[in-house]
Amino acid sequence: MNSSAVSCRRVSKVFAQGELAVHALSSIDLEIASGGFVCLSGPSGSGKTTLLNMIGGLDRPSGGEITVAGQRIDRMSMADLAELRLQHIGFVFQAYNLIPVLSARENVEFVMQLQGVPATERRERAMAILADVGLQGMEDRRPGALSGGQQQRVAVARAIVSKPALILADEPTANLDSVTAEKLMQLMRDLNAQIGTTFVISTHDKLMMSYAKRLLKLHDGRIIDDIVQHDRQHD
Amino acid sequence: MKTPFSMLITVAWRNLWRNHRRSLIMLAAITIGLWGMIWMTALMRGMVDQMIDDAISTLSGHIQIHAPGYLDDPSIEHLIADVSDNPALEALLYSPQVTAWSQRIRVPAVIRSERDVYGVTLVGINPPREQGLSFIADSVVDGKYLQSVDDQHVLLGRKLAEQLETKLGRRIVLMSQDPDNNIAERGFRIGGIYDTDLQATETRFVFAGIETVRKLLKMGSGVSEISLLGHDYRHIDGLASEVRAVAGNAQTSTWMQLDPYMASMLDVMDGFILVWFSIIFLALSFGLINTLLMAVFERTREIGLIQALGMPPGNILFMVLVESVIMLLIGLLAGNLLSWLTILPIRDGIDISAVAQGLEWAGMSSILLPAVKVSDVLLANAIVLVLGVAASLFPAWRASRKVPVEAITRIWQ
Amino acid sequence: MSNTTTLLAWRNIWRHPRRTLLTITAMVFADILLVFMLGLQFGQYRMMIDNSLRVFTGQMQVQASGYLDEPHMYRTIPEADPLAGRIRKNTGLDAASVRAYGFALVSSDTRTLGAQVSGVDPQHEPLVSSIPGLVKQGRYLQGRSDNELVVGSILARNLNVRPGDELTLLGNGRDGSIAATVAPVVGIFESGNHDLDRQMLSMPIDAFREMFSMGDEAHSIVIGGKRDRADRIAAGIRAVLPADKELVLLSWEKLLPGLKQAIQADFTSAWFMYLVLIVLVAFGVLNTLLMSVLERTHEFGILLALGVRHGRLGRMIITESALLALTGLLLGMLAGGLLAWYFLVNGFTYPGMEAMGERFNIPSVLHPEVSLRSLLPGPLAVFIATLLASLYPIWHMRKLRPIEALQTF
Repeated sequence: MNSSAVSCRRVSKVFAQGELAVHALSSIDLEIASGGFVCLSGPSGSGKTTLLNMIGGLDRPSGGEITVAGQRIDRMSMADLAELRLQHIGFVFQAYNLIPVLSARENVEFVMQLQGVPATERRERAMAILADVGLQGMEDRRPGALSGGQQQRVAVARAIVSKPALILADEPTANLDSVTAEKLMQLMRDLNAQIGTTFVISTHDKLMMSYAKRLLKLHDGRIIDDIVQHDRQHD
Repeated sequence: MKTPFSMLITVAWRNLWRNHRRSLIMLAAITIGLWGMIWMTALMRGMVDQMIDDAISTLSGHIQIHAPGYLDDPSIEHLIADVSDNPALEALLYSPQVTAWSQRIRVPAVIRSERDVYGVTLVGINPPREQGLSFIADSVVDGKYLQSVDDQHVLLGRKLAEQLETKLGRRIVLMSQDPDNNIAERGFRIGGIYDTDLQATETRFVFAGIETVRKLLKMGSGVSEISLLGHDYRHIDGLASEVRAVAGNAQTSTWMQLDPYMASMLDVMDGFILVWFSIIFLALSFGLINTLLMAVFERTREIGLIQALGMPPGNILFMVLVESVIMLLIGLLAGNLLSWLTILPIRDGIDISAVAQGLEWAGMSSILLPAVKVSDVLLANAIVLVLGVAASLFPAWRASRKVPVEAITRIWQ
Repeated sequence: MSNTTTLLAWRNIWRHPRRTLLTITAMVFADILLVFMLGLQFGQYRMMIDNSLRVFTGQMQVQASGYLDEPHMYRTIPEADPLAGRIRKNTGLDAASVRAYGFALVSSDTRTLGAQVSGVDPQHEPLVSSIPGLVKQGRYLQGRSDNELVVGSILARNLNVRPGDELTLLGNGRDGSIAATVAPVVGIFESGNHDLDRQMLSMPIDAFREMFSMGDEAHSIVIGGKRDRADRIAAGIRAVLPADKELVLLSWEKLLPGLKQAIQADFTSAWFMYLVLIVLVAFGVLNTLLMSVLERTHEFGILLALGVRHGRLGRMIITESALLALTGLLLGMLAGGLLAWYFLVNGFTYPGMEAMGERFNIPSVLHPEVSLRSLLPGPLAVFIATLLASLYPIWHMRKLRPIEALQTF
């Protein structure tokens, strides 16, 4: 893997809304080193979600090039993008992260199954990672029986268990109370430190932003600020 | 990448029961649909089978051999040789392909009692042979069946006896034309009364021993017809060709040729059943597609999530399809079970004599026996399953085709 | 108020256009089928009846009481001709014809067969029977007392006779004496009814009476006329029948009970199938309605919280399903009616119909009936089933509590 986890060059995205053209992203240039812990911040409409969609291969840019984990993704087919997401990218959404009819463990095992990991190994890894995120004993509960914070932790566990190069999280703490939110962010920082997975997180919350090693501010589809932060208390 | 079939099936199964009301309603519909298909066709087939059976056992048999010209003019002038004069034919008749056969003399005649006169068809039969070939032996309700080819009695239909105002033991006179166009007449005692469901039969046929009739009509050797039964009335052409080959100048006809109406009933029924199945299925399919579309719509976010996690589009199609297949299979199971449960109690027939007269007019008897044809059941199941899957392809395809971002957009918020 | 409810209900239906369209299509599909099939059935029955009656039976008959069950020669109508005249006068209908029946041995040059002989009034018989118009060779009878015969086509073939040949008839007279005559065949008829063609020959009524020693009597007065005027005609006839109940007026249902029951049996079994169809459509609609209600739980919660009452909510839901059902009903009747009307004009046939046609006296091309009784019952049944189906979602919603509802996403 080369040292850049994500690379964007002159990436733009235009949406058609009726007769209007909405420029969600305008000419984004960006390099994220592997092992980074980056926060995207900005008001709604600033384009941070759109940028995450681009990087995660969930949407195609209108112009420009994107390289993730060494591969050009702006021209990839849907099937190839799916494969890329499966092997190299993990997701944590704000809500609806889990498949409701599967238990926590089954949700974590899901991606590994897609990857073809044999059953015993799957189970071991799933149980281990759930313990790591502090959910020991809750493995067989369905999402409906877990609190918001617990659900998010399962999502993180699932995202990390398949050892992706990159984890993308969109406002993962927005639905959580502040104590739980902090715990979640701390978890992600710890994983980043231990395993070296690159994190790109979008958030509103100033407290969450303080966890970032690097802070990108977006406004009206452009990056207006790029700050490297020294984290004192979170290392 | 491996396709985690078991996982997909697990998810599909559990998703079905997430919204159990909807799934149960759809299941009920499939069950009723299948039941409608099977039960109705069992009754309809039963009806047709019986009509044909009645027609065949009312003397026509599966195959008949006559003199050419007899069918247009069923009189004493058109006779064929006795079977003993045709060794090849005789051998065929005694072979295992033929389950029963007999010879008859059948001529138009007039029957007269003290009170009334009617035109009838006089049939001289070989009583032991007729048993197993036609209805006569089994329908005698009063008196005795004919004992031998020389039996001096006659068998009368019950309705005819009523119309003649005569009864068992009395005498009647039979008149018919002999080969010289003279009237031959003789008195006979009524030895037995027979009853069929079909009044037309009862008033039409008078039975006597074949040799008795031969003497009455001062005939030489020769018979009017040879009637025989093969194994399967549906597939009789093979045997008919063999008979034709050895029958010489005589005309060989299958029951289908003798009664084209009945023959057409078989085809009409086959066609009708197919149409009925299609109609039921179409009615079901609207509900099926709608239900599946709703199920998929409800899970847009979830499907988007799964796509984001990297599941290829094909698997998503599979997952939705599996849900539909499971529902169809359960519905089929329940439908087959329900059909079996509702056919079992009426296995021996439903008595529909309330409308009996009308049925007689249409040529049916008054007990309706359901006839379950395995091919019908298999066809019904196949149609529901195969077309059900086909109908589900559209919602499933739509689910898999959604660009993740459209689905995810709902998630990101 | 109800206008806005209706408007709201209508818009709610179209929130999910594809779903609603599928549901309506299902209803319309069933409706089209039902309208068409009912129309076909009625058209078929009408034809069967008309054709059967038209051949020989007539719409109704006056007979001696008991003759129908036991048709003995001595059960006669006395002074039949004056009675027939009175009937014609009182009903204004010319189609009343006197008939007598007997049995005879019929001999040609080469053959002797038994046959039914009918004595007919050549002037009035063509008004009640189609046979006079179906003479294939030669001509029909003309004078009341002419000594001539018309013979059924199969009988003629079996006897080997053509117009001009002579036949000898030998039978039993009304008083038991020998009835005999020799007469020429002047015509051969082919009615299409196998039994008539095979067994019957006709002679003029007065010639018949002479041969069978029947004086001025007859066995039946056959009445024609249009079926939809049957009641009035019957009243007119009953008025001139003697009060002593020796003579009875028999409707065609009594004359051909088999026909009526065959029709009933067919109709009943068809409705069974229709019911299955309707039930299936109802299930489909039920699911749709249920889902559309369940997915609006949150929304209903808001309404309830705002103070709307459960009853009002229920009424709104029922208005939705009623609108849906009504749309289906109207479109279904229209589409079904159009299809049936198309075949009314162009005729309809399916394989196997020719053989069936011969047997039941229907031509092999059917014209479905397009009338209120064929257009309405099917779609109406679907409509009612739909409304009934909508009761379940409403029942299900009756205990909804605002808080629970609002917590549903």
